Amino acid sequence: MNSQGSLSVSDESIARLLCDDNHVEEAVRLIMKKYGEPLYWHIRRMVVAHDDAEDCLQETMINVYKYRSTYSNEYPLSSWLYKIATNESLKLLKNRSGFTMSVDDLGDSLKDSVREEASPDADETLILLQEAIALLPAKQKMVFNLRYYDDKSYEEIHQIVGDSVNTLKTNYHYAVQKIKDYILEHQL
Amino acid sequence: MKDFDLESLSREMPYRMPEHFLDDMTERVVAQIGKQRKHRVERRIVALFASAASVAAVALLFLHPFGGGFDIPDYESISQCASVDEVLQNMTADELGVYSMMSNYYGN
Repeated sequence: MNSQGSLSVSDESIARLLCDDNHVEEAVRLIMKKYGEPLYWHIRRMVVAHDDAEDCLQETMINVYKYRSTYSNEYPLSSWLYKIATNESLKLLKNRSGFTMSVDDLGDSLKDSVREEASPDADETLILLQEAIALLPAKQKMVFNLRYYDDKSYEEIHQIVGDSVNTLKTNYHYAVQKIKDYILEHQL
Repeated sequence: MKDFDLESLSREMPYRMPEHFLDDMTERVVAQIGKQRKHRVERRIVALFASAASVAAVALLFLHPFGGGFDIPDYESISQCASVDEVLQNMTADELGVYSMMSNYYGN
């Protein structure tokens, strides 16, 4: 899932192309080639359904184009991209939850989607793991996914999510505990 | 109490990504960005024309008769024009021929 292909174009070069009006489309292609897949899975782990992940990824890339002037090379390009993708995922979940509920109230409906979306030959434990993740509060879910699946350091997660490293560590710890409890409870 | 080693699990996802999804998405995004860029250029052109029209309108105001910009000939300068008879006297025979033909044609 974390494969970034054999693409060797540096993030600095992509960022330079992105800020150049004559090469912006080339930059978008390079971003899709290098980060399209990890961004898709990051979004999909948040929103579960493929159709939603598709909408979010498209919006993410359009926002990358629209807000390219706001990118600062103080942070890695990947953190900026993940931040936009995370915000788009949360925006979609917020729209889904409406005015009366919070994003964290969507856990049960997301959990139900996991089984609907899973491939027929998917491993049961992997489905249980995704169900457990779906039930987590949004913040814990983000931190867990970025650390567990994307191998991000807490510093990188801080750049994406914005919380302090200590808060992130606490979130991760609680997420792991809840996931373990869920799997132990539901495993045959 | 039983424990469970999360690290022992595969990082694989139980879902699939449709084939060619990322390639199709790339083309869609690039097409949409192309459209947005085109609209941006069109908006710039419209804005440019609007600015040019505003400048022209302001310039016209300065040239307007009430603005004192138009150079309208006064009575003295009109009276200084040569009379038709004087012009006719200075015409060559060929020019007179053309003049009389034109006068007949327009019923003058």
